[in-house]
Amino acid sequence: MTLKHVSFISRTVFVKNNDVEAACRVLNRILGREGLIDQYRRTRFFEKPCQFRRRINFERCKSIYNEDMDRKIQFVLRKNRLDAFPGAS
Amino acid sequence: MASKQLFSVFSKLVISTNSLNIARPICTTSSKLREVVNRKEMLKTVPAMDEGTQGEKSVEIDYGLNKHELFPTAETPNKLFNGIPFKDIPIFHIKVSKNNTLIALTDAKGDFKIVRSCGSEGFKHTRKGTNIAAQATAITIGTKAREQGYKTIRVKVKGLGPGRMSAIKGLQMSGLEIISITDATPVSWNPPRPRKPKRL
Repeated sequence: MTLKHVSFISRTVFVKNNDVEAACRVLNRILGREGLIDQYRRTRFFEKPCQFRRRINFERCKSIYNEDMDRKIQFVLRKNRLDAFPGAS
Repeated sequence: MASKQLFSVFSKLVISTNSLNIARPICTTSSKLREVVNRKEMLKTVPAMDEGTQGEKSVEIDYGLNKHELFPTAETPNKLFNGIPFKDIPIFHIKVSKNNTLIALTDAKGDFKIVRSCGSEGFKHTRKGTNIAAQATAITIGTKAREQGYKTIRVKVKGLGPGRMSAIKGLQMSGLEIISITDATPVSWNPPRPRKPKRL
């Protein structure tokens, strides 16, 4: 799973117009989205098997809920009708 | 605190004797006056520790973000910054932990030039692990580096902690031009068994 990343190519952000904070925020957001920060925090202390099971089950339920909710939202937002937004014009 | 309670108890006594009511029993500790009732509830009110990960959970969309300028490409190592190719620019290694921040300046090969930490800066004990200490350390090492002739640098950050953001800010404050910020936090999905969790 862990590939040896190339330093200064991966996880690197250039600073534009001396705006260090914005660059940091972009970097942090990417790290957070990819789950790197979460994984780092999780591996500070040993996760007991029961905690591991709990977490995995919670994540499983969450992903199923999210998938269903996405489908519902897509259904409500579908626009394959003659007038895309009836009553809006 | 104790004197305050005593005072309140005595004042109540005085009032009770004056009004000839039934005197309340004197007790020095009252459960209602105690500040910490439950540890969990107390921890809820304490603000979370700053780990330098601002914007981690934000979902904002960068409209004016030019990805070709913001992220490195295959040509980046040979790209010139102030006349120096990117691969030869000196590096500031910042190692952040919960209780300390270490900042080291190395050349592109990784040979150490200057090393400073919050502890060597004069901050001792818990004061080492604060963002103020990290910023002060970064400013001193930054000015020292400028005196030695370093102008453009790249930054490599390792770990999460209070000094993560403020150390980078301090380096910028000292007048160095930061070209890029790299994260080198060691993250593994199959690590050796970590230490046991803390119990309180």
